[in-house]
Amino acid sequence: MNFLAPAAFAFAAALPVVILFYLLKRKRVLKLVSSTLLWQKFLADTQASAPFQKLRHHWLLVLQLLLLCLAILALARPYLAGVSPGGRLLVVILDASASMQSRDEDPTRFEKARRDALALVDSLRDTDQMVVLQAAAQTEVKQSPTSNKAALRRALQACAVTDAPTRLLEAFKLAQPLVRDRAQAEIHLFSDGATTSLDEFEHEGLPVVYHRLGRRADNRGLVSLDVRAHPDDPTRRAVFAAVANAASNPAPARVELLFDGQLLETRTLELGPRETRPVIFTVAQDRDGVFTLRLAGEDDLPVDNEASMVSRLPPPVRVLLVTRGNRFLEKALAAVPRAEVSVAADCTDPARDFDLVVLDDVVPTVWPEVNLLAIRSTRTNWLEITGRVEAPAIVDWRGTHPLLRFVGFDNVAVAEALTVKTPPWAVSLVEARETPLILAGEFERRRVVWLGFDTLQSTWPLRVSFPIFLANAVEWLDPATTAAAQLRVRAGDPFRLPLTEVPSEVRVRPPDGAALTLALEPTARELVFGNTHRCGVYRLALGTNELAFAVNLLDAAETDTTPRAEIRFGRYARAEATTLRPANLEWWRWLAAAGLAVLLFEWWFYHKRTA
Amino acid sequence: MTLGMSGSLLSPELLRRLEQLQLLAQRRAKSHLRGERRSRARGLSVEFADHRTYVPGDDLRYLDWNLYGRLDRLFLKLYEEERELPVRIFLDASESMTFGEPVKFDFARRVAAAVGYVALCGFDRVSVLPFPEHANELAARRGLRAVRGRRSALAFFQHLEQLTAGGPADFNAALRRGALEARQPGVAVVVSDFLDPAGYEVGLGALVGRGFQVHAVQVLAPEELAPTTYGDLRLVDSETGAHQDVTFGRYRLAAYQQTVRNFVARLREFCAARRVRFYQAGSGDSLDDLLLKQLRAGALWS
Repeated sequence: MNFLAPAAFAFAAALPVVILFYLLKRKRVLKLVSSTLLWQKFLADTQASAPFQKLRHHWLLVLQLLLLCLAILALARPYLAGVSPGGRLLVVILDASASMQSRDEDPTRFEKARRDALALVDSLRDTDQMVVLQAAAQTEVKQSPTSNKAALRRALQACAVTDAPTRLLEAFKLAQPLVRDRAQAEIHLFSDGATTSLDEFEHEGLPVVYHRLGRRADNRGLVSLDVRAHPDDPTRRAVFAAVANAASNPAPARVELLFDGQLLETRTLELGPRETRPVIFTVAQDRDGVFTLRLAGEDDLPVDNEASMVSRLPPPVRVLLVTRGNRFLEKALAAVPRAEVSVAADCTDPARDFDLVVLDDVVPTVWPEVNLLAIRSTRTNWLEITGRVEAPAIVDWRGTHPLLRFVGFDNVAVAEALTVKTPPWAVSLVEARETPLILAGEFERRRVVWLGFDTLQSTWPLRVSFPIFLANAVEWLDPATTAAAQLRVRAGDPFRLPLTEVPSEVRVRPPDGAALTLALEPTARELVFGNTHRCGVYRLALGTNELAFAVNLLDAAETDTTPRAEIRFGRYARAEATTLRPANLEWWRWLAAAGLAVLLFEWWFYHKRTA
Repeated sequence: MTLGMSGSLLSPELLRRLEQLQLLAQRRAKSHLRGERRSRARGLSVEFADHRTYVPGDDLRYLDWNLYGRLDRLFLKLYEEERELPVRIFLDASESMTFGEPVKFDFARRVAAAVGYVALCGFDRVSVLPFPEHANELAARRGLRAVRGRRSALAFFQHLEQLTAGGPADFNAALRRGALEARQPGVAVVVSDFLDPAGYEVGLGALVGRGFQVHAVQVLAPEELAPTTYGDLRLVDSETGAHQDVTFGRYRLAAYQQTVRNFVARLREFCAARRVRFYQAGSGDSLDDLLLKQLRAGALWS
């Protein structure tokens, strides 16, 4: 026999204490009697006035020592090495996303989930094991498999809800290898069911028990926010937002727009049941600042009632066009608002003065080190040219990419194009049957758009989509846009900032106060700040520079707090919500406690009888 | 005898019944004083005892002239001389006698009063010897020595009532001194609880050895027979101040009572072996039962 907790034998020190209690005489009541003669005869063998008496054989003492020995033995947790049928493995996935902050459960869905999970811990048998995963934007393993209930409780208590959206996929990916090939394994998901697609688990047959949290969906929230230059009036800014109503009843919503904390405008909307409605504000902006949209009024989920965006005044975009002559291109670029176009025949320096360089079918003397739109120009280390193709037919284009917004390739014919393989750093935007025609991606820390055909050898410049594409390209390649995008962070995603030089000190002040100082390697080229679990405006001090970035939820799935009745895995597999589930709620502790109470009662009764 | 003369010790009804009793002397009285007891001494009385030959110097009044006329020899008629029976009552007045409900000493005093009254009625000499000595009760104690005659009963009772109990006592020493002091042995009645740490054997033995006809009356309080105080106790002896730790509960009552019975039985055996009459009574018991049944059955009186 072995012991899991041999340290418990330290309790054996209690044995002499029990004996000591027997050696110690009790406190006595003084009583005057006529003569102690009869008592002496009565207790002829009880003598001596010392505090200790001779230890006599006493059944009560024997029983108590026996009881103590058994208790110590039990505390030492003896076990027999042997083959056991093996316990269950329970993988608890605790959804810590923003929607779990809903206050329709008491006090919140997350706290209820934690309570339920703790109850599940209580129902564990000794051989059962449990894993605790906290799923938000990232999945954290809070507790690896263990039977230690104290550790499990501690892990559950350490879980904290975030403002981030749910990514259950990651959690299931973690859980799946744990439960695979185990006969008695279950995944217990404590969630409200708002999640992204879980299609890839359709055929896995995951043993998921879905504990649904949430009772209603009384929530309105901002699901998108963007600030850009006004299309008609470049001096003004347009604030685009979308407000969603998750309730099945119509609800009014008052949207307030603030700039640096000052109220600019208020608008009242009447949202229909489960309706998402766009709101557009047009405001003048004379300095860099933070736009904040706020939904006034009470609902279950406050975290999505406010969204902020750091807006900087757009500087002009300096474009260097390196071409042997392309009127279409020059005109289209010149038509782009904010673009200041310079034209050159060759590029003889790294062109650091420009925001972007357009290479129109030329191979420059010196390759520029800024963002690049390359037309039929390529460096060999970018991609591998495999040949050329005559009259490739455009079969598909990726309309969701920002570069191809409002851009179509109907009626575009290309005379001749280079054939390439899509490199790992780029995505193919426009594809012919034989080859991708337009690639976009980030290579060596700069953005590159590559066209595999000469625009002049195509009908594209004659189409309306060509200037739009160029406008999109300038927008996409503009480093200011990249910077602005970097200042817009989804809750839970890391904030990244490329560094040209390492500042002496980096301090971050999150929205809820306490400033943090980040340590950077002297050779760091990028600042990464991952602790963005709270929404709001974070302020960054890089040496003497000040920078603000906004962390927002802006997630329609989180705003829609309707508790889902089931979790779908693809089209056919699903896990229905379980409200009640039979569990072995052990109550031996209560019995043991009752046993102790009986023992105490026995002791008391013994004394009462003696008295 | 007036009814009121008994004081609070004995009821008039009891007194009337006691008057009919007579102390029984197991042996011939050895007192030198004349009394109403038959004695071995030949002397003046109406009871003829024996003849003996005349020796010069005998009182000529007791010559049997009828016999001289028939036998022509001088014989002296001997009569039994009736003498008094000295009754000594040893009354335990130690601290331990102040306990009990009713108080043991009161009960013992009433026993002493009853025995004394019977003796007084029989014209016997009664001495009550309370022990230990109390300096402030000398008058009352002196009044209890060598009381004779029924007329002295009132004073006898009053003196008895003036006695108080208290202080430690040496049972054996008191009895031994009482035995030595007595000029003639007679009836000795010892009224005590016999709860002396030094034992009772020496004292009783001294009385027996002196030739007393000893009657031992043990008075115990109900509390001593069946204690009602339970728990972890530290008992303090009222006389010696000795401590005794004891844990006592209802379930040990039977064992305690057995101890008491053993103690009483040993005392009874001791007495039986020395022809000492032994009586045992609780201070709450009926006095009539002790006086009219036990003592009569024990042949103290009839």
